[in-house]
Amino acid sequence: MNKNRIAITLGIVCLVLTIAISVQIKTMKGTSSTVSKRFSEDNLRDEVLKWKEKYETETLNLDNAEKRLATVREESTKNDTTASAKEEQITLNNNLLGITDVEGKGIEIIVKDNSSITSETIGVLDDISNYIVHDNDLRNIVNELKNAGAEAISINGQRIVSTTAITCIGNVIKINDEKVTSPFVIKAIGFPERFETLSRSGGILDNLDDYLEISTRKLDNVKIPKYTGVIASKYMK
Amino acid sequence: MILIAIIIGCIIGAIIGINIPTIPYTYSGYLAIAIVAALDSVFGGITSTLKKNFDMKIFISGFFVNAILAMALTYLGEKLNVDIYLAAVIVFVGRMFNNLGTIRRYYVEKITTRKIIAKAEATIKEANEENK
Repeated sequence: MNKNRIAITLGIVCLVLTIAISVQIKTMKGTSSTVSKRFSEDNLRDEVLKWKEKYETETLNLDNAEKRLATVREESTKNDTTASAKEEQITLNNNLLGITDVEGKGIEIIVKDNSSITSETIGVLDDISNYIVHDNDLRNIVNELKNAGAEAISINGQRIVSTTAITCIGNVIKINDEKVTSPFVIKAIGFPERFETLSRSGGILDNLDDYLEISTRKLDNVKIPKYTGVIASKYMK
Repeated sequence: MILIAIIIGCIIGAIIGINIPTIPYTYSGYLAIAIVAALDSVFGGITSTLKKNFDMKIFISGFFVNAILAMALTYLGEKLNVDIYLAAVIVFVGRMFNNLGTIRRYYVEKITTRKIIAKAEATIKEANEENK
């Protein structure tokens, strides 16, 4: 057998082989195969965990720094009446903005999906979605609480501030970009006797009570956490 | 000579492959199995060249028949919902390792024999000089 012919045959076969390999690589580049998908998913998960850890340590640092700032402020304004008046104003404004933990007299409303109604027991004409808590219900309750003079409101630990949005994203509800699910524990600080009017007949809570499981109780000490997000303004000057 | 031909073939193939359009994603599985079959053929060809029993007819027919059979098995596996192509991959890759072992042994033996011959020549030279 001629050695040249062998070489040429092998060369041609290699040529076809490399053409096929490069076409295949090019084809697979656009689509994500299961192997690479799993790999990138794992990477993303790791990244999320890392960022979460970082976020938690940073939040701790921020908390410590804020505490230090508060003590420093207190000390420096001790012997100065105008400064201490300003200090009080700052504290009040911070409380109103929702960037400090607050506590006081108030109520706690727990709103749950109605568990006694299932798709089997429900009537033909009724709709099962009436018996679960919607974002709209939460918005109505928050509005009602504000009308009743609530000074601070939180839902499942999410402080309601001026920029808070309560939106529906499928199965869960998003408040302050955090997902919250039933049961919803709504806490509000305010004059307790005024909150009693919330459960008046024909009121929003009364109407919702026909469909959902709602329990209300007055508390002497409601603790409402601060808003953990960022309050930023882009266009205000 | 063979090595040069393989390298030239690879370079030209890569250049052509980069410039031609891609194939639909559905057929990429068949192309992948054909690539494995072709790789197996190339290794088989190199081995048989080293053993000096290279047969053009067997090489060419093996190249095409193996690739087509592998693709047909993949198609059948897709219809039957069994990953038959895995069997083809295992056979081809196993044979590739076998062939690679043969090639490696051939070159290792060649180098060791060369060294032994060089040593023997050196001893003979020394003996000749002593005799003088």
